[in-house]
Amino acid sequence: MQRLPRLALGLPAVLLLLVFLVLPYAEMITMSFRASQPGAMYGLGFTADHYRKVMTEGLYLDALARSLLNAAFITTACLIVSYPIAWHMSRARGRKALLLYACVASPLMIGVLIRNFGWMIVVNVDGPFNRALLAMGVIDKPMRLLFTQGLVALALVHVFTPFMVLPINNALRNINPAVLEASESLGVSRFATFWKVIFPLSFPGMQPGLILVFVLATAAYVTPALLGGQMVSLMPTLVVQTLIGTFDWPLGAALAVMMATAAMVVVILFSLATHRLMERVRA
Amino acid sequence: MTVSRVAGSTLIVLLYGFLLIPLVAVVAASLTAGDFMRLPPEGLSLRWFARFFQRGDLVEGLLLSLQIALVTTLVTGVVALMAALASQSLSRRLAVWFQIGMTLPLLIPELLTAIGLLFFLYKIGLGKTVLGLQIGHIVMAFPYCYVSIAAALRQIDPALDDASGSLGASGWQTFRRVTLPLAMPGLVMGAVFAFITSFDLYTVSLLLKPIGGNTLPLALFDFLTYEFSPTAAAAATMSVLLAFVGVAVIQKLVGLQRAF
Repeated sequence: MQRLPRLALGLPAVLLLLVFLVLPYAEMITMSFRASQPGAMYGLGFTADHYRKVMTEGLYLDALARSLLNAAFITTACLIVSYPIAWHMSRARGRKALLLYACVASPLMIGVLIRNFGWMIVVNVDGPFNRALLAMGVIDKPMRLLFTQGLVALALVHVFTPFMVLPINNALRNINPAVLEASESLGVSRFATFWKVIFPLSFPGMQPGLILVFVLATAAYVTPALLGGQMVSLMPTLVVQTLIGTFDWPLGAALAVMMATAAMVVVILFSLATHRLMERVRA
Repeated sequence: MTVSRVAGSTLIVLLYGFLLIPLVAVVAASLTAGDFMRLPPEGLSLRWFARFFQRGDLVEGLLLSLQIALVTTLVTGVVALMAALASQSLSRRLAVWFQIGMTLPLLIPELLTAIGLLFFLYKIGLGKTVLGLQIGHIVMAFPYCYVSIAAALRQIDPALDDASGSLGASGWQTFRRVTLPLAMPGLVMGAVFAFITSFDLYTVSLLLKPIGGNTLPLALFDFLTYEFSPTAAAAATMSVLLAFVGVAVIQKLVGLQRAF
C-alpha cells in the first residue's frame, strides 16, 4: 500500500496533540514568567519574580516538600497493596483470571470523584465502618475520619492501585516458569526463591508502576480537595486556589511548573538509581 | 502451613474487597428507602433517583456531561482510528515512540494539562466556552481510544491486506470490507473508554468550565459541599451505571474474553 497517504492519516491526531497539548504547555511556561497584575489574570512584561517567591517563601516550599513526601508514601503503600494482588492474579488462568481482571480494572471505569465519595459514605460518623467497630467493641465512640489525612491517603491508594497491579501482573506472567523450577530443584526455599528470583524479575513491571503512581499522586487534586477539607495545603490545591481563587495566573503557572519539575527530578533520580537493577534483569 | 494459607487467602480477599468497597457503597446508599445516607440501606427504593431528576442543577449537569461525552467519543473515535492506521506503516521502533506520543495526555498529570489548556484557550478566545471544555475532554480521552484501536489493528494479519489488494480491491474497499470489520472490537472498546473517561472527568472540567455550565461531576462536588444526602449517591450511581452499560456493550459486541 502507498506509504505516504497512509501516514497522512496520522496528521489530525498529531495536530490535535501538538496544538492542544504541546502549545498549552509552552503557554504555561511563558505564563509563569509574566508579571502579575491585581484585578487582571496577568500583566504586561516578563519577570522571574514568581520563581524567586516560590523558592524562598516557606509556605510554598513546605507545600512542595509535603506533596512529594506524600506522593512517596502513597506510592510505597500502593506497591504493598498491589503486589499480593498482582501475584494472585498472575497465577490465575481462564475465567478466573478474567474475573480477577474485572475486579482490578472496574475501579478504573468509575470516576475518581465517585470513588472518593464512596469512601465518604463508608467512613461517615454513622457509617458502616464506625458502626462495625462500635459493635465489635474496638472503639467506644465513633471516629471522625472525614477530612483527615489518613482518609486522603487511603482514597489515593485506592485510586492508583490498578495502575500498579496491571504492569506488575504483566511482569510476573512473563517470568519463565523454568527459572522457578530450576530454583526449587536446586533446593532453594520458596521464600528465598521469591526474594532472590521472582521479586527482581518482576521489577520491570514495578518500575513503570512506581513512576506513574508517583507522578500522578504528586499532582492529584480531586481527592485532597474533597476528602481533606481545607486543613493541609498540598501543592495541587494551592495551584488551583491561586488560579481560580485569586486569579493570579503567572504565580499559579510558576507553582505548577515547579511541581512538575520537582516530580520529574525525583523520577529521573529514581530511574538512575534503579538503572543497574533493570540492566541485570534484562541480561 | 495451613494457617499461613488461610492468612494469605484472607489477605487476598481483603485486598480485592478494598478495591470494590467504594463502588458498592455508592450504589447501595443510592437505593435506600430511608431519609439518610446509611449503610446498609434501610429498605430499597428508587425515590432518591426520582429526587435526582427533580434537581435542575444536577440534571443540567447530566445533560451537558452526556453531550460532551458523545461528541468526545465521535471525534476521538475517528481521529484515533486514522492515527492507528497511520502507525501501521511505521517501523516497529517508530511505532513505539508514536504510541508514547499519542498517550502523553495519560502519562502526564491531568491538572497540568488542564492548566496549560486554561491559559491557551483563553489566548485563542475559547476561554470559558463549551467548545473549549469539549477540546479538553477530547485531548484527555484520546489516549484510551488510540490504545484500544491500535491494539486491535496489530492483531490483524497483514497478509489479509495484501490478499485483498491483489484480488483487485481498492485501498478504500480493503479498509471498508477487511480492516474495519476486523478492527471493530478495538473501536467499540475505544469508544466506550472515551465516553466513560469524558463523563467522569473532573479536574479539566473544573478549570475549563464554561460560564454557567456545570458537568455532572462538578455539580455533584458542589452538591456534596452543602448536602450529604442519598440524592448525591443517586447522582454518583449514574456513573457506575454508565460503566455497567459500557461493559455490557463490550460484552455484547466484542465478548469480554476477547476484550481483555
